[in-house]
Amino acid sequence: MNIQDNYLKNKKNIFFSENKDIATHREKLINIFENDRFDKKNNESLKNLNLKNFIDFKYKYLIPEETSVINNNHENSYSIVSVNGQCSSFKDDKIEITKILDEDYNDFSKNDTIENNDHFVNLNSLFLNSGFKIVIKKNNNIKIKISNIITDDDLTIFQKNNYICEEGSSLDLIEEYENKNNSTSNILNVIKLEKNSQLNHFLIQDNSPNHNLIITTHSSCKKDSTYTQKVYNFSEGYVRNFHYTELIEANSEADLQGIFFLKDNNTSNNKTFVKHLAEDCKSNQVYKGILNDRSKATYFSNTHVDKVAQKTEGYQLSKGILLSDNASYFSKPELKIYADDVKCSHGSTIGPIDENAIFYLRSRGMSKIAATKILISSFINEELDSIDNEQMSEIIQKKLVRYLSKVK
Amino acid sequence: MNSETLNTLDSYSKNKYKYGFVTEIDDEKPKKGLNEDTIKFISLKKNEPKWMLDWRLKAYSKWKKIKEPKWANLSFPEIDYQNIYYYSAPKGFEKKPKDLSEVDPKLIETYNKLGIPLEEQKVLAGVAVDVVFDSVSVATTYKGELEKLGIIFCSIGEAIQKHPDLIKKYLGSVIPPGDHSFSALNSAVFTDGSFVYIPEGVKCPMELSTYFRINAENTGQFERTLIIADKGSYVSYLEGCTAPKRDDNQLHAANVELIALEDAEIKYSTVQNWYPGDEDGKGGIYNFVTKRGLCAGKNSKISWTQVETGSAITWKYPSCILKGDNSIGEFYSVAITNNFQQADTGTKMTHIGKNTKSKIISKGISLGKSQNTYRGEVSFLRKADKARNYTQCDSLLVGNQCGAHTVPYIDSKNNTAVIEHEASTSKINEDQLYYCRQRGLSHEEAVSLIVNGFCKQVLQELPMEFAVEAQKLVSISLEGSVG
Repeated sequence: MNIQDNYLKNKKNIFFSENKDIATHREKLINIFENDRFDKKNNESLKNLNLKNFIDFKYKYLIPEETSVINNNHENSYSIVSVNGQCSSFKDDKIEITKILDEDYNDFSKNDTIENNDHFVNLNSLFLNSGFKIVIKKNNNIKIKISNIITDDDLTIFQKNNYICEEGSSLDLIEEYENKNNSTSNILNVIKLEKNSQLNHFLIQDNSPNHNLIITTHSSCKKDSTYTQKVYNFSEGYVRNFHYTELIEANSEADLQGIFFLKDNNTSNNKTFVKHLAEDCKSNQVYKGILNDRSKATYFSNTHVDKVAQKTEGYQLSKGILLSDNASYFSKPELKIYADDVKCSHGSTIGPIDENAIFYLRSRGMSKIAATKILISSFINEELDSIDNEQMSEIIQKKLVRYLSKVK
Repeated sequence: MNSETLNTLDSYSKNKYKYGFVTEIDDEKPKKGLNEDTIKFISLKKNEPKWMLDWRLKAYSKWKKIKEPKWANLSFPEIDYQNIYYYSAPKGFEKKPKDLSEVDPKLIETYNKLGIPLEEQKVLAGVAVDVVFDSVSVATTYKGELEKLGIIFCSIGEAIQKHPDLIKKYLGSVIPPGDHSFSALNSAVFTDGSFVYIPEGVKCPMELSTYFRINAENTGQFERTLIIADKGSYVSYLEGCTAPKRDDNQLHAANVELIALEDAEIKYSTVQNWYPGDEDGKGGIYNFVTKRGLCAGKNSKISWTQVETGSAITWKYPSCILKGDNSIGEFYSVAITNNFQQADTGTKMTHIGKNTKSKIISKGISLGKSQNTYRGEVSFLRKADKARNYTQCDSLLVGNQCGAHTVPYIDSKNNTAVIEHEASTSKINEDQLYYCRQRGLSHEEAVSLIVNGFCKQVLQELPMEFAVEAQKLVSISLEGSVG
């Protein structure tokens, strides 16, 4: 079915379809799809992607019967269960959770400064059917864990979440995506960090083979704020991690990290993009991938330094290990620099596991598989060590062991 | 210098003089614009056989269908292909300067600084020069000596006449005419260029060289170079480019194809100093060049070295297809952009064979209001077992109006291949600058020294004759933009 028909048919359970401004914007988006289509040749981010599933999809959405739960189990700690992308409202003196409103639609959906025509973001704006908004109030220090549950097969979730960290606040956010049904989630997170705030964002992705997950994050950092993101992708289904950060005021920092573990016929597309728009900012982008069997991955990283962003430090690192003959990895670490007083670098390596290291371990009596496993663990050890959340670290370790048990 | 060279040169210059007196009728140029008649005119002028004309026409029909590539980080007005002369031959002296006093003094100054007077060929002693003035190759020296070894070094026009078998076999085999719009354009209208064939087991005893100049106004230069190194042979080839100052933008779309068979090695060095436009970005050459080498045989090697200081726009990606097992590809590049210059340059290493190795060293320096982009692709195909690549690209920014960009594409489909890429961008180190200044160097000298040091890794790959020239060229390019 073409996108326009699909939209018109399901209009009634799509958010904000009554709003005139939004309707006009959506018409524009539909036009883009009609005219541009998905041009794989000129859009590298669509590499290795079976597009048909995403354009000619069957729209299905169920409003959750059970409203989601918000627990305030410990002091300053909340756990949220979001069902089909929805979450009930909640309010205390530290946080406020509400539904997203018409005016939130404009955040980033209409903002095309970062990238024109990201088709998946456009689809999200067009079919938006769920989402919530969380505000962390001034000078609070809290932890939130969100479990994302999808109740039925074949659902298409188009979700938009807004996070606002007010001045001086600090948030540890853990998001879990562990779904075993054949659904598609297209999630857009818009994050705003006010002055002197901090957000540590963990994403654990572990879906079954037929579940597609498309996550796009757009964060903007004001003065003295820090955004740290760590993505752990153990999914057996398709995952797209596209994360954009804009450092809009001085002395802000962004750290985007990710590790992905792929096997079988799985594909994953990853992108990080940091835009330095103010001076004295720092950024770091590190992605590591392990690819087995016939899996394929792409990683695009991009550091853009504006003319005014003097004294910038921007680093990128991309590392890939190919465990099988048929795996493939494409990486494109890009630097765009318009200011002269900067320190920017990128490094990228792709290759097999170091044979000398394997030889060393084998000569000490270890089997080849055991040696391989040890070396894979050590490859990502630095990232695992840096997790200061014990609970998180345990979860990741378990999943790693599960992945390694399939390595032959 | 041997007498044969001098004789050739002397007779050439005398002939040209005479020719200049008798020819007043301007029938050497076809009408402006690109169409089948233009191509037929070129082919007729060059007295080409029919198969060559057919080849050109086929390329032209392809060109009509292909759009210009738009992915490069360049901005320039649409090229009007119908407003260009596609053929121009030296018609004597009515348009050319009689002596140095008539030449633009700025140009002479540059030449003097480089240590190369206008009579380039007489100075570059010991170097066989195939001089291309505009579109016709006018003199090829050292021919005799090379012939004794069985080496063919002539203009491509001559090769089409005398060695049709080689041309038929290899022309367009590395860069197919339909590859992209500039290769199609070049294939349709190429006028001259060099042809080199090194027979089996021969090590070419001297550096072969071509000096290109775009002289006539509104003339696009479309040269085509084809170098074939047969089994076990070696050749080093130099290419230098300069163009006089003009206010209009001129188009230059060259194609260079290299083929190295088993155990052969080709070393290709370029110093490109086309006119870059003036301080306000007016004029300058549009340089859209396709250079590609094929390591066809086992253990073959192709090495590209380039120093890019000129041109308003540089669009150039000398690349290697590493097909033979154990073959090696190398790419060394210095790209300096100043004022309003834009450069989008880099390389492409395609690893097909086993144990293939490639190395990329790229240094970009941006000054003034220029934009300098490194764009390189390294890909390992499925059968490239144990292939290896090392890439290093560094950028230096001088001033806060310019931009330096790095866009590498890395694609690995083989799990025994190893790829390493690193890049850094920074400004000139204040400590180094301070140290040089303390020891009495002016700011400009200090910057020039540091930049030369920054480029050294690449400059030392150039043959002697070029290394000196290139070093001076680097200093000149920096002039007036620092301090």
